[in-house]
Amino acid sequence: MAVQKNKISMKNISKTFTTRTGDVSVLKDVSINVFENEFLVILGPGQCGKTVLMNILAGLEQPTGGEVVFADGTPKMGDLGIVFQKYYIYPWKNVMQNVELSQEVKGVDKKTRRESAQKYIDLVGLSGFEKSIPRELSGGMKQRVGIARAYATESDIMIMDEPFGALDAQTRYQMQEEILKIWEKKKRTVIFVTSNLEEAIYLGDRIILLGGSPTSVKAEYIPDMPRPRNYTSKEFLDLRNEIADNTDLAL
Amino acid sequence: MKKFSNLIYAVLPVLGVGALIGVWTILSLQEGTLIPTPVETWERFLVIMTDPISKATLPVHVLVSLKRVLSAFGFAIVLGIITGVLFGWYPRVKALLSPIFELLRPIPPIAWIPLLILMFGIGEVPKILLVFIGAFIPIVMNTQSGIESIDPMLIKAGQSFGCNHRQLLFHVALPASTPAILAGIKMALSSGWMCVVAAEMIAAKQGVGFLIVRGQEAGDTALIVSCMLVIGVVSFLLSAILTKLEGVLCPWQFKKTK
Ligand SMILES: Nc1ncnc2c1ncn2[C@@H]1O[C@H](COP(=O)(O)OP(=O)(O)OP(=O)(O)O)[C@@H](O)[C@H]1O
Ligand SMILES: [Mg+2]
Repeated sequence: MAVQKNKISMKNISKTFTTRTGDVSVLKDVSINVFENEFLVILGPGQCGKTVLMNILAGLEQPTGGEVVFADGTPKMGDLGIVFQKYYIYPWKNVMQNVELSQEVKGVDKKTRRESAQKYIDLVGLSGFEKSIPRELSGGMKQRVGIARAYATESDIMIMDEPFGALDAQTRYQMQEEILKIWEKKKRTVIFVTSNLEEAIYLGDRIILLGGSPTSVKAEYIPDMPRPRNYTSKEFLDLRNEIADNTDLAL
Repeated sequence: MKKFSNLIYAVLPVLGVGALIGVWTILSLQEGTLIPTPVETWERFLVIMTDPISKATLPVHVLVSLKRVLSAFGFAIVLGIITGVLFGWYPRVKALLSPIFELLRPIPPIAWIPLLILMFGIGEVPKILLVFIGAFIPIVMNTQSGIESIDPMLIKAGQSFGCNHRQLLFHVALPASTPAILAGIKMALSSGWMCVVAAEMIAAKQGVGFLIVRGQEAGDTALIVSCMLVIGVVSFLLSAILTKLEGVLCPWQFKKTK
């Protein structure tokens, strides 16, 4: 691979929550470098602290130790594109209003921001649903809104926290393909969180495996396979077994 | 099966009301009772619909009471929501002002009546003020708790998309608490309606509360009972209107009705 420019460095991130029943250490000394325009997958078992790590990366939560350093300076709120695990799209806003929000609050005029939002709505395949409200959409469609909304920030860093976790297998495969297509059309730095091993191998330029208790980085894998990857190819299955052997919980 | 269950649900409410009227009839037919029969009540109702008492027919009395409620209500909604938002969204304002509110809140609105009458006489002002007090409190409380109980991740998501504190209020906090605010407005409406009847029973020349007292003075129980039923029906209708409004204002909360 060509020389890679560092985009984000998570340095020795630790997070301990103080709860009624005592301190809970969730993350310990997590250090991850993210390279510019790579599709980085962070793979970890359920409840291991992936969402906490992403919230720290996004500046929505403070680590109890360590720091996140952005090569281009700490982004302001609104400078990152985030897809949340539980969507968190606003039920009182229709698809268009959800997607255009980040531009609207920046004061971009209505015509410009609608055009730009429309571009991303089309990109995720929701043309025709601009005026629908979330309760009228399926889970997969809601997550597409979440993805379009994140892209509409025009950010060069995308954080996706298990975006396809709640989808059925069929929709999931389809969304994985689409997300790669979008990324290949316009390269950005993507940090993609998942607990699904196949998904990680199918998508990642690089895979960071999390594990242990408290959670830390266990290993790094580079699936050296051309895209689109074949779930049943030998290389795919070999890598799958290699990672599975190194995983403490059944993924 | 479906049809049968629809039928059941159409019949049961009628049965319930029918049973009430039945019990009422039996009670009213007892020797020496003051309870008017349903028929007497209905006839009295028809009479006051057309024959004025204190220069006004029943619809006029109802309108007088409604006008008092609604004029106080406008103020209560605007000021109540603003106060609730200030308490729920600006911790410093809450720290400064909410102790005052917490002290005054438990006082039953009707306990204000004597003071209000001494201060403002028996005109419209004290009645409107009383309704205002009764309606303001639930609106403030519901608005505040609606805002305070928003899922913090909804707020964080808004922040992550660049909303500042004020934009978060209008894009996230207020819409998220609209259902709670509407519930507060519903409570406020029944509380306000209660207050107006109470105020009119103590000092008024018109209004449904006044009519009830007139019935008491004249020993006219049919008048009292028909007014009570009218109060119940009006209050029911107001709350039905608000339920409709809920569907319009928060379509994301309620199933679309075809
Ligand atoms: N605010 C908090 N206070 C206390 N504990 C917390 C808090 N937030 C998260 N945790 C704990 O941190 C752990 C990791 O949570 P997190 O949601 O990051 O896991 P996850 O890897 O994203 O799980 P999933 O795969 O289910 O999404 C959990 O055990 C959770 O209980
Ligand atoms: Mg998670």
